[in-house]
Amino acid sequence: MGASGSRLSKELLAEYQDLTFLTKQEILLAHRRFCELLPQEHRSVEESLQIRVSLEQILSLPELKANPFKERICRVFSTSPTRDSLSFEDFLDLLSVFSDTATPDIKSHYAFRIFGNTTPSHMVFVLVLLGSWGSSLELILTLSFLASCDCSLDFDDDGTLNRDDLSQLVNCLTGEGEDTRLSASEMKQLIDNILEESDIDRDGTINLSEFQHVISRSPDFASSFKIVL
Amino acid sequence: MEGSPTWEPEAWGSSGGWLAPREARAAPYPPAPGPSLSSVLNELPSAATLRYRGPGVLPWGMLEEEDEDGGRSIQALAEATQKELQEPHASRELPWPMQARRVHRQSQARDQVALGSRSRVARWALVLGWSKEKTQEGLRTLQPWVWTLKRIGGQFGAGTESYFSLLRFLLLLNVLASVLKLCMTLLPTWVEGDPPGPPGPDTSSHCGSYDPRPQGLIAFPTQLFSLLSGESFLEWSSLFYGFYPPRPHLAVSYLCCVFVIGLLHLLLILHRSVSGLKQTLLAESGALTSYSHRVFSAWDFGLCGDVHVRLRQRNILFDLQVELEEAELRRQAALRTLGQHAKLWSVRVLLNLLVLALLGAAFYGVYWATEFTVQLQEVSYVQQLPLLKLVVNYLPSIFISAVNFVLPPVFKLIAPLERYTRSRQIVFILLRTIVLRLASLLVLLFSLWNQITCGGNSEAEDCKTCGYNYKEIPCWETRVGQEMYKLLIFDLLTGVAISLFIQFPRKLFSALCPGALGRMVGTQEFQVPDEVLGLIYAQTVVWVGSFFCPLLPLLNTVKFLLLFYLKKHTLFSTCSPASRTFRASTANFFFPLVLLLGLAISTVPVLCSIFLIPPSKPCGPFRELSSIWSQIPISISSLSQTTQNFLFFLGTQAFAVPLLLISSVLMVYTLALANSYGRLISELKRQIKTAAQDKVFLAQRAVALSSAQGAL
Repeated sequence: MGASGSRLSKELLAEYQDLTFLTKQEILLAHRRFCELLPQEHRSVEESLQIRVSLEQILSLPELKANPFKERICRVFSTSPTRDSLSFEDFLDLLSVFSDTATPDIKSHYAFRIFGNTTPSHMVFVLVLLGSWGSSLELILTLSFLASCDCSLDFDDDGTLNRDDLSQLVNCLTGEGEDTRLSASEMKQLIDNILEESDIDRDGTINLSEFQHVISRSPDFASSFKIVL
Repeated sequence: MEGSPTWEPEAWGSSGGWLAPREARAAPYPPAPGPSLSSVLNELPSAATLRYRGPGVLPWGMLEEEDEDGGRSIQALAEATQKELQEPHASRELPWPMQARRVHRQSQARDQVALGSRSRVARWALVLGWSKEKTQEGLRTLQPWVWTLKRIGGQFGAGTESYFSLLRFLLLLNVLASVLKLCMTLLPTWVEGDPPGPPGPDTSSHCGSYDPRPQGLIAFPTQLFSLLSGESFLEWSSLFYGFYPPRPHLAVSYLCCVFVIGLLHLLLILHRSVSGLKQTLLAESGALTSYSHRVFSAWDFGLCGDVHVRLRQRNILFDLQVELEEAELRRQAALRTLGQHAKLWSVRVLLNLLVLALLGAAFYGVYWATEFTVQLQEVSYVQQLPLLKLVVNYLPSIFISAVNFVLPPVFKLIAPLERYTRSRQIVFILLRTIVLRLASLLVLLFSLWNQITCGGNSEAEDCKTCGYNYKEIPCWETRVGQEMYKLLIFDLLTGVAISLFIQFPRKLFSALCPGALGRMVGTQEFQVPDEVLGLIYAQTVVWVGSFFCPLLPLLNTVKFLLLFYLKKHTLFSTCSPASRTFRASTANFFFPLVLLLGLAISTVPVLCSIFLIPPSKPCGPFRELSSIWSQIPISISSLSQTTQNFLFFLGTQAFAVPLLLISSVLMVYTLALANSYGRLISELKRQIKTAAQDKVFLAQRAVALSSAQGAL
């Protein structure tokens, strides 16, 4: 704490406090941790605000390293065109949404984006080929194809959570190994139940307002959607 | 199948038919003429505003390479959002990146300057809102151990964090109570001169004399044991009730102190539980959304460390599998025959009788232990050996602790036999443990009352002269205070002993012992419900005892401070994260409720002593009165006539009955309002469903019409 001090100017700190949900100490701590990711010669204040850090470096932070959603989180908050690097302000955005005092509205908005669609476009042909979910063989084939991809697929968000988004989400929650996944019938039953509970307009997908409606009635969400440096 | 739109009505019923929009969105061949269904749906204003990310930023779901009508659609999005954002939002609440928020804030500031003179009311509202936010921020920084709690929550889950948060809250309650006791009880005692010593043996009172101070030389072990049992030199000290002199001002403030503390604690607990209650009451019904909650709020993003993450993943898998299994069980249960039902219910009745029998045996044991203590203390060799005397003194506490240690695991074994769902089993176990803990305390107090008032029989031989059993217990309030003091000390000693002699050796043993045995022995978890019930029990003891032992809140503050650091140290060095995540929401709703129950239970002995039992004659500030409460009317009669009339009016029926009527009317109105809101919500849900169907129908029609036009 002593050597780095408050290298951010007072006006900048005040502006960040106004624009995010973070306190002054949290912003300073975030700046310190961000600068530690930069190479030694680029650690000045001006450069740290301009430079972008690659995804691999951000993912090496201990708070994110073991998180199964780490890739999605970084891609959601990245403002670069190819979504593979974070600037300091993106990093502050991330911490702000995951902070203690962020409103449940903004948390649920970003949670929706993080849980959201990660099916690459070539996957959809498979869905087209397999018509209905009736046959269990087709189901197993589809799910094994889905499961062979890890949680870091191309980001392609179309604004709703459909069945494969939900099954990807559940796979992220339970772990990626062969023996840590739900069986196919359990997965189908689970997703049926979830859609039964949350899909108000019965279109087979959960859109943002339905998601926010479900989350608003979950009292644990705000306390679990937190990252503290 | 992919691009061709269909609008058969029957396709809407099954969810299979709804794959059509998703498929149509992606499959590019054969390309349908005119706009596709997905592009029509994407242009809807609702979709546009949801995807908007601020000026100068690509909306969600758009990649940089798309530029067919990218520019146009971005423009449309911006316009659509401008209309939405009419009300002033705080910039930080918008789900946009930092740069976009900065631009928005600057434009908002420009607008405010342009508006110029706003109405005075608006300005005052702004100042009020700003000052409220600043005070809340200030109060948040005043709370101690904020970083510790965050670390605990990150590593061990929100359930464990809620235990420490509750401990911090109880610490606050005890600090406030100690300060009030200091100001209202201790200060007035010394303000009017040193209090006198105990009455000598030659007083004319026929209720006996009372001099607990030790005579002559006392051995050091005896002194130490007296410290632990609250006797001899501690008995006539400001620790207990008997010491305080019979001065009228002191009497009034001593009595009012108890009521003020009770009221203050009630308000603080209600304030804390309101937020938890609000969230729990909002849920229409827990059963309606259990799966969604289990999946969407399952992941604790604060977890770090590979080991913890893998553990949590395993637990989530287990949780989901159990829940699906239970759904299966419930389906089977609905299909049970009458015979099976009868068998199940007879098993349940038997088990409940067993539980009642166990509870009854425990309570009888506590009662017997308290009675036996008195008998044992008369035995001669007990008197001679100080250690034995101490053990006999502590017999009730030892018995209560033993019962609280042995019975809850038995309840945990019995619960699965009743074939309820897992969550219901947990509720039953918790309820039974709560009844055990709080009722055993009540039984102890009941047996004390029995001894003091000769079983409530004021005509009994021992109790006739003074109204209480003056031969055995010359100063009964001090005696009750001593029992509570002993319970507190023993609770602290058992807590320390369990940490030092059970948990740390287990950890050492598992480190030395390799393989599966070491792992099995070594994985200790922080059992949140048991620990929280222990806290609530300790606080109830203090609530009961603080009338009879004014320094008890201060001792409890020290005890809870020690407990905080001890539990924190034990947690970090010996415990692994809990396998069954105890939900923080349950903790926030359920535990303040049980705390309120403890407070309610603790008022029973205190009010009984104030109103029903005559105060002791040789000791205490109420020694010359017929009942402790009678001090209040005596003091009121010394006030002015109008104040007297007002205060007496508050106690009449003419005040209480209208108050009750108005409260009932308000309650009925609130219930009716809540009911109508529930009905409105279901109605709105139905309307959303119909509107969505309409929207897709119209979009499909539009696509069909334009493709038909294109084909022409």
